[in-house]
Amino acid sequence: MDSSTASSSHPQLQPDFDYLFKLLLIGDSGVGKSSLLLRFTADSFEDLSPTIGVDFKVKMVNIAGKKLKLAVWDTAGQERFRTLTSSYYRGAQGIIMVYDVTRRDTFTNLSDIWAKEIDLYSTNQDCIKMLVGNKVDKESERAVTKKEGIDFAREYGCLFLECSAKTKVNVEQCFEELVLKILDTPSLLADASSGAKKNIFKQKAPEADAAASGCC
Amino acid sequence: MGTSPYLPPPPPPPPPLRLPPTDPTRQTGKLPRDPTSSPASPREGIADAAMASTSSKHAKHRRIGEDDDEEEAEEELGRFDDFTIASSWERFISEIEAICRQWLADGPKILMQKGAETVPSYENLYIVKRELKHGKRVYCMEYNFRKSAKGKYSYWDDDIHSTELSFGVDEFLIISPLSASGVILDDPESTKLLSSVAIALSNCGSNWPAFVPVHDPSRKAYIGIQNMGTVFTRRFEADRIGSQVPIRLMHLEGLHELFLSKFVLSSTDFPAKVKVNFSMKLTYRTPEHDYDLEETLDSEATEPIPESEVASQPRKQWDDDCPWSEWYSAEDPVKGFELTTIWGGKTFEESFEMAEVENASSFDADSWLLQPVVSPYMVDDSIGKFVGFASQLHLLVNAFESSAEAQFLEDFVADNSGQDNSKSSVAVPPPTVIDRVMKDLFNDEVGNSNYVEAENKYGRALKGAPSDSLFAQFCLHALWFGNCNIRAIAVLWIDFVREIRWCWEESERLPRMKTTSSIDLSACVIHQKLQMLAICIERKKSLNREKDTGDVHKERSSNSMAPNKIRKGSAGVVPSMMLINTFQEMHAPYTQDAPLMTEDMHEERLQAAEAFGNAVGLSGQLERDILSSDMSAFKAANPDSAFEDFIRWHSPGDWVGEDKSDGSPAWPPKGKLSQRMSEHGNMWRKIWNDAPALPVCEQKSLLDSIREGEKVVHYLETLRPQQLLEQMVCTAFKSSADILNRTTYGGFKLMKTKMDQLYATMASTLKSLQGKSGTSDLAGDLKRLCQVFEHIEKLLIFAASVHRKLADAPRLAQSIFTDYFNYYLPKMGTSLESICYEKEFTTKEKVGMLEREAVSSLFRPPTANQSWRKVLSMGNLLNGHEPIQREIVFSVLEKLSNGHYSSQTPLCTDEQIETHRMYISGTSNDLWVALSVTSWD
Repeated sequence: MDSSTASSSHPQLQPDFDYLFKLLLIGDSGVGKSSLLLRFTADSFEDLSPTIGVDFKVKMVNIAGKKLKLAVWDTAGQERFRTLTSSYYRGAQGIIMVYDVTRRDTFTNLSDIWAKEIDLYSTNQDCIKMLVGNKVDKESERAVTKKEGIDFAREYGCLFLECSAKTKVNVEQCFEELVLKILDTPSLLADASSGAKKNIFKQKAPEADAAASGCC
Repeated sequence: MGTSPYLPPPPPPPPPLRLPPTDPTRQTGKLPRDPTSSPASPREGIADAAMASTSSKHAKHRRIGEDDDEEEAEEELGRFDDFTIASSWERFISEIEAICRQWLADGPKILMQKGAETVPSYENLYIVKRELKHGKRVYCMEYNFRKSAKGKYSYWDDDIHSTELSFGVDEFLIISPLSASGVILDDPESTKLLSSVAIALSNCGSNWPAFVPVHDPSRKAYIGIQNMGTVFTRRFEADRIGSQVPIRLMHLEGLHELFLSKFVLSSTDFPAKVKVNFSMKLTYRTPEHDYDLEETLDSEATEPIPESEVASQPRKQWDDDCPWSEWYSAEDPVKGFELTTIWGGKTFEESFEMAEVENASSFDADSWLLQPVVSPYMVDDSIGKFVGFASQLHLLVNAFESSAEAQFLEDFVADNSGQDNSKSSVAVPPPTVIDRVMKDLFNDEVGNSNYVEAENKYGRALKGAPSDSLFAQFCLHALWFGNCNIRAIAVLWIDFVREIRWCWEESERLPRMKTTSSIDLSACVIHQKLQMLAICIERKKSLNREKDTGDVHKERSSNSMAPNKIRKGSAGVVPSMMLINTFQEMHAPYTQDAPLMTEDMHEERLQAAEAFGNAVGLSGQLERDILSSDMSAFKAANPDSAFEDFIRWHSPGDWVGEDKSDGSPAWPPKGKLSQRMSEHGNMWRKIWNDAPALPVCEQKSLLDSIREGEKVVHYLETLRPQQLLEQMVCTAFKSSADILNRTTYGGFKLMKTKMDQLYATMASTLKSLQGKSGTSDLAGDLKRLCQVFEHIEKLLIFAASVHRKLADAPRLAQSIFTDYFNYYLPKMGTSLESICYEKEFTTKEKVGMLEREAVSSLFRPPTANQSWRKVLSMGNLLNGHEPIQREIVFSVLEKLSNGHYSSQTPLCTDEQIETHRMYISGTSNDLWVALSVTSWD
């Protein structure tokens, strides 16, 4: 995956990409969402102060022969900010649910809280969900087995990967897998096309028809 | 005929049903010169007394003129001195023979491959046809056959063809004049025709029965013959009395005697007493349901309604308690029911025994079958035929199409002000109607309905407003406001917004808005805005109250000496939490609600974050404000607290505790801040240091209700027509579906699935409305959606009607619905074209023993002025209703081995066959009789 990081403070004016994907990182406070993002976009690791509100980074990548602009949104995990976070679910094609493999509560909260938040706030019915267990570098402190992660992912219908932002393990793969899956989902591509706002409906027409005829 | 050189005058008709002197089966291979001598002319065969009158009546229909034509033709042919080929008549026979041989050789499978048609409304019955010419006449010969042999023979199968039922045959041939030529056969000609077929069939050794119609079609008179092996021949005839049936033949006893009379005539060798098998099918139809009548009947028991009141009451509709009746009244799709009761397997020797059957209770019948009589509008899709939500939604979609024509809603009203209001496309109902709608919408009585949204998993995907909410009610009213044209909608909307502005100015509660503290982002923006406004109005009201009592507050707060040391705004002690610096329990503060945001505000925030990116201090400002507010409140509730205390309460993950053993409040708490929280320059600590200790009530509100409320009203007042119509379309579809979904229909599974599918289809179609795409592309899809909606709306009304009529027999109701559903289903694949069904719905459903009571209650006993009919009764009354049709089969079975001939017939050696069979169908003034007699010659 070739990549070049574009600073988000200098917005790209000309669309020199095929698709713009919006990805969202959610999960409990302190599971390492910001670290994952930093590792992915800047290939560095440092102890970050807790996110207040939201942060986002843009990264240009080439995947499957397509030039992609990824806007990755990083949200605050504190309970208090949850209702405000709902703003950022809008239009996301991919949602990454992060937990800390050394803290069981961060895992159980995914099904108790975060999965419900997605149902509630996601505006893209087809958006791709991914489950990511972070901090596998602390294998000795592991509190959630890989199998539990797989089982949850299967039940909830999402992608699954374990990674470490600290050791870099699986971080790139995590984003790549997610993007490939989005590229496989036509309804998501329709919204993400970089072309000037095309007639969205026309692109989706066959799909809508299929649904209509399926009904009757 | 008569004068043709080849055709001698026909002999006088042989005695009825007596066996004819010649049997075609004996003449195999040789064509007879005299056709009319072959089968009997059995016109007067049956019901001699009864039929006498009809036969003379129909005599005038004989077409003498046509006979003359044929004579000429015959003569013309006769001029050829050709002795090598047979006569035209012989050629005709051999032509029939050739066709029959072909059909016999092909067999059902190949005939079907060759394109045999199915007989309409019979599943298993196929037909092949050939045209034949004889002289100037064109005949059509049809062969009716079954794809596969029928299983057990049953008279009353629905799938049995009337010819099969009447004569007790399976496959059969019918030869008749081509209907287009309008020829009616008289006795001699039909006899000649039947002879031709009989000879042809016997030449090819076929056992097919053949039938020929006689007289005019309304009489449904037939003669027929069947060769059954070498020695047996079966003869058929049928005729009808269309009026004035003799009283004797109205009753079973007389009909039984009629059968016996045939029997005795045909065979003198039989013993005097014969066991006659009897089977009967009675069809009843429920009377027209009169709901007014029901009303009066029901109320009679309780208290008499004064005459004047009855008259003033609006007519009671069948669907008065259905959820849609608030908006419209649907025609009852179930006009009534037809009940078929079947009596079978009885044997009688004496005619008087039949009278008992006539008096027997319908409950004694062997089986009951029920079929709904469905209104034809169910299958008629033509526009304007069905008035319901679907039709109004269609109008709304039209309005949506024209909504792009103007920038402001006021333009629609103004533009047409000079025009003729009577033009339906711009007609607006008079102000009185608008007033009524507004009164209904803003009537606060209904404001807090406790109706729980019928949750559908797809409901959320539909961006509408909840059905009972203010905007949804506005949309529903708009659907039925005039003819829902864009101008009418504009007029209604402008008034609607004016009312809302008034509520805002006067701080009046918005009606039909549930008091909530959150905004439902899955609803449409207008609903979110109204939610916001409702909340702002609440805040405004409480602010006003506070102003009135404000002085008292001030006094109290000025009393406190050292504000920083006094606990304020505590919501209670946090269990097992001690402050880190003082030996005190931690108090949780009251905090401000997170500011509410409608969808467009979220969008704005998102765009702001995108635009400013990571620039410190710009994104996440709102979060910072909240954090600061929380910290202020925490400081106020815990005067001596430290940053660590706040973190332990607010972001427990960032406190690395050391002992979690017993949970008892240990002091001082052991542990430390997480590394990220303790770093230098941490944003949290910065905010903490800046936050003053202030309880919530003294803080500046995170939500400026005056500003936000004013913004909402402004939004509503300046809304673009297209944006309004988009949201109206979504909400109207959703609310209409929700109303239908609330209907009680017995939870029929198929209906439930269809309802779910409707939601799914709506979700996928309406989703495109939220993108900003061209209206013209969308309109087509929306109109198709209206079509889908109409199908499901009709089916649902049908389901509701069946359910309420058969509430006491739920299994039966569901089965009937399933039958109709399967019949209707193929229709639903169609798009905008309307298709009228040719196939009728005829499926009958078996009624279980325990369900008979519920079904019989569909037949309300007739009132006094209806019961005069009893005079003409033919018996077998069900709750005082006589059958609309009675069908009877009498038969006598005989073992062939006991027969007069012991020849080895391959057909049936030791089997019983029906030697005599009579089928009678009719009412007290219309009787049709078919007779089959097997004889050995």
